[in-house]
Amino acid sequence: MPDELAALEFRDVHKSFGAVRALQGVSFSVAAGEAHAVVGENGAGKSTLLKILAGIARPDRGDVLLNGAPFDHAGPREALAGGIGMVFQERLAFPNLTVAGNIFAGREMTFPGGRLKVRAMRDRTRALLDDLRLPIDPDLPMEHASAAVAQLVQVARALAFDCRVLVLDEPTTSLTDAEVDHLFRILLDLKARGVTLLFVSHRLPEVFRLCDRITVLRDGRFVSTFDRASTTPETIVRAMVGREPPVRVARALPPASAAPVLSARSLSRAPWFRNVSCDVRPGEIVGIFGLVGSGRTELLETLFGLAAPTGGRIQVDGRDVTFESARAASAAGLALVPEDRQRLGLHFNLSIRDNIALPVAARAGLGRIDPGAEIRVSQALATDLAIRTPSVASSPDALSGGNQQKVVLAKWLATSPRILLLDEPTKGVDVGAKFDIHNLIRQRAADGMACLVVSSDLPEILALVDRVIVMREGEVQGELEAAQATEEAVMQLATHEVAVSA
Amino acid sequence: MKSIWRAREFSTVIILLIEVAFFGWYLWPEAGRSHPFLNLGNCLLIFKYSSIYGIAAIGAAVVIISGGIDLAPGAIIALTTVIIGYLFVVAGWPLWAGASVALAAGSFAGFISAQLIVRARLPPFIATLGLMGILRGVAFIVTEARFYDLSAKLPRNWHVLGVSIDWLGPGVMVALAVVFQRLMTGYQWGRSVCAVGGNETAALFSGIPVNRIKTSAYVLSGALAATSGIVLAVVQGQGKADLASGYELDIIASAVVGGASLIGGRGSVAGAVLGALIFGVLRNALPQIPGATFYDRLIVGMVVIGIVVMDQVLTRRTAAA
Repeated sequence: MPDELAALEFRDVHKSFGAVRALQGVSFSVAAGEAHAVVGENGAGKSTLLKILAGIARPDRGDVLLNGAPFDHAGPREALAGGIGMVFQERLAFPNLTVAGNIFAGREMTFPGGRLKVRAMRDRTRALLDDLRLPIDPDLPMEHASAAVAQLVQVARALAFDCRVLVLDEPTTSLTDAEVDHLFRILLDLKARGVTLLFVSHRLPEVFRLCDRITVLRDGRFVSTFDRASTTPETIVRAMVGREPPVRVARALPPASAAPVLSARSLSRAPWFRNVSCDVRPGEIVGIFGLVGSGRTELLETLFGLAAPTGGRIQVDGRDVTFESARAASAAGLALVPEDRQRLGLHFNLSIRDNIALPVAARAGLGRIDPGAEIRVSQALATDLAIRTPSVASSPDALSGGNQQKVVLAKWLATSPRILLLDEPTKGVDVGAKFDIHNLIRQRAADGMACLVVSSDLPEILALVDRVIVMREGEVQGELEAAQATEEAVMQLATHEVAVSA
Repeated sequence: MKSIWRAREFSTVIILLIEVAFFGWYLWPEAGRSHPFLNLGNCLLIFKYSSIYGIAAIGAAVVIISGGIDLAPGAIIALTTVIIGYLFVVAGWPLWAGASVALAAGSFAGFISAQLIVRARLPPFIATLGLMGILRGVAFIVTEARFYDLSAKLPRNWHVLGVSIDWLGPGVMVALAVVFQRLMTGYQWGRSVCAVGGNETAALFSGIPVNRIKTSAYVLSGALAATSGIVLAVVQGQGKADLASGYELDIIASAVVGGASLIGGRGSVAGAVLGALIFGVLRNALPQIPGATFYDRLIVGMVVIGIVVMDQVLTRRTAAA
């Protein structure tokens, strides 16, 4: 790539938000016509970089050059006028407007006097979508569009106006593989037409598929820019986290003769799952793997008393139990760390400390909160889990996704459960936090806790669990010991390509 | 043309027609006597009183669509009547001059709300709740519990260009509804209001001047509340600090019954006016039913909940289909 023709150049860019130093002297350049990736853990400074390019934030120090000329930071309008097209995540759509309304939001075509050229915008939208080979009705209300369509409309939105640099923020999070293929065809086509691509993503396979060069950020600093041809995903991960990526850690397994602490016997809940039997022994980490719709989350909810089973039995310590509520399950020594932590796991109006102490707060008797105990418990857990925060008195709002997940985990560990149910414990979490969370689960298992982990992240399952139960469409397809559990064996069970006897 | 049947305003019209049909049937007189509800004079009466909060409901709908809420209109209406009353009766200004000052004062009040929300970052509910108290307080301080009697100085049986002044409110309401319905659905300003209410962050990233759009909504709401106040002062012939008390809720209810969602991004100006008429009919017809007088408020409250619940059920069904 000829570097003298930089489409975009960052020169020693600094940016702080209050006490948080988001960017500390970032310098790199993006050559005209290349596909350039920016990768990094959560909190590495990627979103700040995006905000600067979108004209929402201006750097405290340093320069951004667009085609060699200083970039006008006056606002989003100026950024767009400068030829930067932003493809935001689909959550930045307008649900109450149509597809055409979304594409032209803020930049409507109008007659003099401000009257909208409705037909012209609809025609332009249709042409644009045809060009991208997207069969979408311009008049479709966005709230009725799927996440994938919403994401592709964001791409069309950036292309509706002349753009020379296309910036994409995690554009594939809500897309299926086929939709990703479609998006990448579009992007490569644009690249062939001379558009410069800046691709911000977590997903290294996609980065390697699409991009010519990869810039790594860590803790707000520039680490390095790599040529795709001469690097490997392992190198990139090391640069991102500053340490070795997680590998399977050998653990002392609990004796197979130990009595199971939690068992399901022919457990069913129509229409989600049928006839599921499994055992979890103290000190064991059991994984449940299955593709979306296999009934995994529903199984955990049923075990935890959030929904009544329609058949079968649940046993704790070998005795039949019927949990009327999550409270009853909790009293029996169970804890569930839910998947959707924003909605189900965290209270953003409370401090980190109060969040952690919430399940134990009322235990001082007569509903009185014991502030001393609260501080002791939460401080110990925050240190234990390496939650990176200036103070446990602040809101979890400011934490990265990984650290938020640690808070949710800490909250349930504070109840000292004997049985820990985890639903997608590292979804949307960066590599470093994933490493910490895995270590923590192993540690607790070593102390005798029984862990049941649901995950659709196969490498995670393989790295973490002692035994994996594979589900498909609500039924158990098989059970594999860690030694037998290879990627192929598990996937075959999950997709049922070949019958395998376990 | 199919879209007319799906428009939210359509179902509001149906509700209004059902309501009118019901009272028309229920209040049907004995043979030989005139209908107490279905007659031209009574229709004018309904329009006349509905227009007082119907005009302000247009502004409330715009504010709600932009994702905000405005609790000040009731107080602005009262203060407006006091301003006109003072300038027209005490200071001897011409009526149009008093009305102009009142209009400017209402717009300025809306501007203050907007500044509290946009600059001081107060939640709209708190900012406008505070302003509501302040404005009502100012009206009381100025009048010292007196009232200004405009009717003595206004022409008796006043006609302008051969039309009774009673038509002032309905005329203004319909004209403003037509204008703002067009602005909201067919113009860039209205589209921007919807965008800000639908997703404020996305609007910011799209280069929409979010603060300016919000300010325009509250200024409009203030100006239209002042217009309501002018109509009230002229029609009622009074300037008084405790007029229009509780109107802020009737105004919001009109907008909501007309399809405005308090989450923002959704609603209709025409719907808000139709909503005001739905309440106007209730207020007019209920007292004519023997024994129903004390049930007035209760029935109005149930109608608000009933219509919104029905709307949600219908929306969910459409989304599922």
